[in-house]
Amino acid sequence: MTPTPPLFEIDALKVAVEDKQIVNELSLTLRPGEVHAIMGPNGSGKSTLANSLMGHPRYTINGGDVRLNGKSIVEMPPDERARAGLFLAFQYPTDIPGVSMVNFLRRAMTARRGEEIPIREFRQVLNDVLGKLQMDEQFVRRYVNDGFSGGEKKRAEILQLGLLQPLVAVMDETDSGLDIDALRIVSEGINTFHTDENAILLITHYQRILRYVQPDHVHVLIDGRIVESGDASLAEVLERDGYEPFMEQTKEGVLSS
Amino acid sequence: MTQATLAAPTDTETKPDDLRAQVSALSRSLDEPDWLLAFRLASLEQALALEWWTGQEESWRRTPRERLPRRATVGSLGRATNGAAVNVPSHVFAPREHSGMVHQIGGRVAASDLTDQAAADGVIIMPLSAAAQEHSDLVQQWLGAVGQPQDRYEAFGRALWTQGVFVYAPRGAAVSDSLFYLITQDVAEGDHWHYTLVVAERESELSLIEAGDADHRQAELADTPLIHASVELIAEDGAHLRFASVQRWHRQTAAISTTRGRVGRDASIRVTTAAFGADLDKQRIDMDLSQSGGYADIRGLFVGDGKQHIEHVTRQYHNGIGAESDLLIRGVLTDESQAVQFGLIQITPEGQKTNAHQTMRNLLLDDGAGADPIPMLEIEADDVKCSHAAAVGPVDPDQLFYLQSRGIPLKVAERLVVRGFLSEIADGVPDAHMREVIDELVEIQLEPAKASV
Repeated sequence: MTPTPPLFEIDALKVAVEDKQIVNELSLTLRPGEVHAIMGPNGSGKSTLANSLMGHPRYTINGGDVRLNGKSIVEMPPDERARAGLFLAFQYPTDIPGVSMVNFLRRAMTARRGEEIPIREFRQVLNDVLGKLQMDEQFVRRYVNDGFSGGEKKRAEILQLGLLQPLVAVMDETDSGLDIDALRIVSEGINTFHTDENAILLITHYQRILRYVQPDHVHVLIDGRIVESGDASLAEVLERDGYEPFMEQTKEGVLSS
Repeated sequence: MTQATLAAPTDTETKPDDLRAQVSALSRSLDEPDWLLAFRLASLEQALALEWWTGQEESWRRTPRERLPRRATVGSLGRATNGAAVNVPSHVFAPREHSGMVHQIGGRVAASDLTDQAAADGVIIMPLSAAAQEHSDLVQQWLGAVGQPQDRYEAFGRALWTQGVFVYAPRGAAVSDSLFYLITQDVAEGDHWHYTLVVAERESELSLIEAGDADHRQAELADTPLIHASVELIAEDGAHLRFASVQRWHRQTAAISTTRGRVGRDASIRVTTAAFGADLDKQRIDMDLSQSGGYADIRGLFVGDGKQHIEHVTRQYHNGIGAESDLLIRGVLTDESQAVQFGLIQITPEGQKTNAHQTMRNLLLDDGAGADPIPMLEIEADDVKCSHAAAVGPVDPDQLFYLQSRGIPLKVAERLVVRGFLSEIADGVPDAHMREVIDELVEIQLEPAKASV
């Protein structure tokens, strides 16, 4: 049996920030229906990876390739990547005072679909996703991320995930700053979104979200490289032993090739 | 929009005796009461004794003065109205819900109304020259009562006006919907001098929206038209007065306005201005807080393009105990447009317990655009709270990235952020329809290929 073709391929990717090399020849393949978790300590390059995949202008891709459905996206501006089906759930969502969530969400959905979404349908889809996330309808009258609590910001990211229905969702530390109830709601939101047709890349420091969102593959990121890959049980090893053993190995150069 | 550099405006030195004669003739032709002729002539003498500018004044140093005509002519009384002679498109600001309005085209009154309810409450809105006859005592009591002219433009404005409005709310009256003063600039008439006098008696509430528009079809004029607006706002004790001014003058216009507010005890004045038109717009806004517990709020928004120069010179003058004031200016500059904000918070020894703040923020969308925000504090009291913040810079790249990451193209994202940025100011305009109009004008100004409608 031939394996399903890859949906998202990160191929020997190198990323620099202001001449400092952060991500070093990182490769990863996501197939439809898969959940991958990348776990790493602070400073290992998690957020750099997430932001560069989406095309943040501060990060320079200086080697390798990223392909979505077989098509390279590294030359595309962020909005084109998004319309092609890539999504980034931000670790720190940016507030945009004066721009209402509802206006923003409708524009984003229109962009993703490539055509204007009828207002009735928009309302319906919006209320449906809001309900699933246990969010008040009044929420969307507020300005984008403006004055949101940490939990509200993360829920708003999941709301967008549910509305935009991307092919590949990169979740940058979505679990950080959430209490246990919010973590469960957010995790359920991710699980509801997840189907056999899309893929999720969870980037996280801690194992706890992986109790709710089951990963098929877990990767350990140290110094901008994947130093170990395994199944869900690898997360448990990390939980027990921490990142220290992997960092030691990297220093000794055992896993550097 | 790229815009050809305009020719320098024509300066005209009219002989003082000729001006005196013209002002007297104007006043007689309008059947004005004697006190008004005396007021005009006294203002004229003040003007003649003052300079246009020396260029050394803080409030004039940053103005591109070569783009301002030094010219004094008696305002026009409007062109003949026999049918097609005055061909002016309908005013973009045509109000919806309103308690009353006056519309002037050039020096001519085009329309005027007042709801029965407002009339029964004793509310007045009418052309200033008519009010000077019908409500002579009231107008005489208040005209020019808020401060002395600071320069020749303002003094001439008091002497030479032919257009204007008088707005009045008697004691305790609460005017439900906004009142409107619409001005259509008739470019064929040349210079415009107009005068707005607003009086809110004790415990009353009113809001006036002043909106200036022009015929934009004739792109190039032979000379730079000058528009001077004198605005005097009086809120007596416990009164709440709101004033919004939106201008979309002809693009070749040099516009100067002088807005003076006097805030009574426990009273408030809120001013919001929005600038879109003119080649140069210099707005002076001066709020006098000499009574305890007063509040003044000054908000300004603008969108500059081409080579426009947009300037705010403001003063929050605290000469009473426990008064508060805020200044919030937000502008967006494209192409080679330039902005200046010179904002002074002045607190006398009487101004203890003052709470005064200033924020000026300028977004630059193009490399050629620039802004110079200058907050100033002059504090002679020791128990006050003051703050000021000034910023000039591009749109936050993280905001743009966030919107782009949701599929929204860069240009659209930029537009969204800019409109959001300005909405905090526009929200201060006390009329929903007017806020929509402002939003549309923001869009038009930001559009690279603007339609001249």
